[in-house]
Amino acid sequence: MSRVSFLLMIAVMASALYLVRTQYESRSLTTEIDRATSLARNLETENDRLDVERRAQATPLRVEKLAREQLHMRTITPAITQYATVSGGAVASAPAEVRP
Amino acid sequence: MSSRSVQYTSSPLLASKTPIWRSQFIVAVIAAGFLGLVARAAYVQVIDNAFFKRQGTVRFVRTLDLPANRGRILDRNGNILASSVPVPSIWGNPEDIERDPAKLKALAKLLGMTSAELDKKLQDEDKTFVWLKRQVDESVAKEIAALKIKGVYDRKEYKRIYPEGESVAHVVGFTNVENLGQEGVELTFNKALGGKAGTRRVIKDRLGRVVEDVGEMVPPLDGEDLQLSIDSKVQYFAYEKIKEAVVSNKAAAGSVVVLDVKTGEILALTNYPSYSPGKRGNLSGAQLRNRALTDTFEPGSTMKPIVVGLALEKGLVTPESTIQIGNGKFKVGTATITDEHAHGLLTINQVIQKSSNIGASKLALQMEPHDMWEVFTQVGLGQKPHVPFPGAVSGKVRAYKTWRPIEQATMSYGYGLSASLFQLAQAYTVFAHDGEVVPVSLLKTNQPVTGARVFSSKNAAAMRNMLHLVTIQGGTAPKAQTMGYAVGGKTGTAHKVEGKGYASKKYRGFFVGIAPIDNPRIVVAVMVDEPTNGAYFGGDVAAPVFSQTVQQTLRMMGVQPDMAVKPQVVTQVEKESF
Repeated sequence: MSRVSFLLMIAVMASALYLVRTQYESRSLTTEIDRATSLARNLETENDRLDVERRAQATPLRVEKLAREQLHMRTITPAITQYATVSGGAVASAPAEVRP
Repeated sequence: MSSRSVQYTSSPLLASKTPIWRSQFIVAVIAAGFLGLVARAAYVQVIDNAFFKRQGTVRFVRTLDLPANRGRILDRNGNILASSVPVPSIWGNPEDIERDPAKLKALAKLLGMTSAELDKKLQDEDKTFVWLKRQVDESVAKEIAALKIKGVYDRKEYKRIYPEGESVAHVVGFTNVENLGQEGVELTFNKALGGKAGTRRVIKDRLGRVVEDVGEMVPPLDGEDLQLSIDSKVQYFAYEKIKEAVVSNKAAAGSVVVLDVKTGEILALTNYPSYSPGKRGNLSGAQLRNRALTDTFEPGSTMKPIVVGLALEKGLVTPESTIQIGNGKFKVGTATITDEHAHGLLTINQVIQKSSNIGASKLALQMEPHDMWEVFTQVGLGQKPHVPFPGAVSGKVRAYKTWRPIEQATMSYGYGLSASLFQLAQAYTVFAHDGEVVPVSLLKTNQPVTGARVFSSKNAAAMRNMLHLVTIQGGTAPKAQTMGYAVGGKTGTAHKVEGKGYASKKYRGFFVGIAPIDNPRIVVAVMVDEPTNGAYFGGDVAAPVFSQTVQQTLRMMGVQPDMAVKPQVVTQVEKESF
């Protein structure tokens, strides 16, 4: 009888120690997850911020200014545009004159 | 054995005289004490444990707020018009701040305030939290951190960034420092954009790390992205052109509205003067106003096509019918309506082309006031436009029962009623969309719409022809012509109302037109307010803006020119030979 009790007591002790260990592991994993989540969130907001910055570099205002000043381009008009019409999947040769 | 040895156990002096019950009593009291403790322990831990559980929880469980991201505002091509980015905000703890004058002076300088202002913020030493400056630049926050002042911290907050700046300011609006919409779409769609913050209960350890979740997490619901119908390129171009027109005509202000006829989408809605939504110091009311929607004015001659359209619809006239203008003066009761020129006999086409007040009045006087009122209402005049903007106005069309004949006549050329530029643009979709008034949308739909029919398809086509005549030689707005595309439209010039009467030298010139006229894709309305550099007619100040806006918008939409253009291509591509 006492041997059985002793064995059970050992088992209880082992189980208790294991519980403590599991709890500890679970907590450190939670910390890890939490850190990863906040990192993910930070990266996401960083991505958003960079998106906005990229857009700010590509606004029509800036593009036009650069095209005009640095590349000496001008706004196109129909007079300097050749329209190519698609017929039957192939692009027909562009007419010299602009026609509807 | 020594004589000093004593037999203690048998010493009568030491023999206990205490009765046995006393020791028993003590044991019983101690036992009762232990029993009491056991009972108390059982009570506290098993029966009534809520209080201590709660107290325990308070000591290590924390509720974290999970803020929701505010949705972005995008244009029709997915370009960002407004987005939230995290920026540092600086706060201080007056209770334990390090009051080193040199450091505080440097801090005040970085925060862009005087030392006195900073001291004032930090004077109340009972407080443990005070914002020093919200939403500062990242570089400033780094410099402040480098000062290493105890009791000064930063915290991430979200700030709205508007990369497109001035051109879309009136459409997009802005938010305040608490991220709540204050103007424009930011205000109208504040709820959808804002989302809903979530919460999470956690246990934190001694180092402040989250070690365990308690209960269920309420995840944050991020705000929805909002895709507008605005095309930022068209918007930018329209803004630049109206800005140029306002500056060169020394005008007070100007607006442009561009509508897609097929879908009813608003491609551009812009006003000058504008403001930069990111830098809102010293804003004036004039800059903030979304004039295209909030300013009403008498629509002047732009009303004539609507009255003529009704005359065609009622079968009173055909485009080729003639009407006698005479010497340019026409008496209605005691009042006289005048035209600039004595045109004599004009066809209905020419009434529009030459913008004859008398012609329009004579037609109006043949109609029932109720019919005119009904058409005005159908095209949206006197009604608040169905656009999600704060402060859109309805303009004014009086009840037809109160119209006197002279009023009925003046209304036919646009006096005695008022409308906003946006309403005029929408009204002109009746000509562009084959006789139907198109419902407008500020959100991207990309779906063809059907509107409410006002005129027959045939009469709408006849009206488009008249509007085209306005823009060719002999019309009032040849400056509206644009290379490659046949256009049509109507000029308007109105005296501004001041106090009870008309200001003698203050005008508003505007132009509402359609392009391409044979297969309309867009309606463009342009208004220039108080031009003071000589020219003030709509055909001179507004039509050129119309012309340039149409040119660029149609090109961006990929609409092929419908008129032959003399090519100015300098080099021809030669075929490569093998």
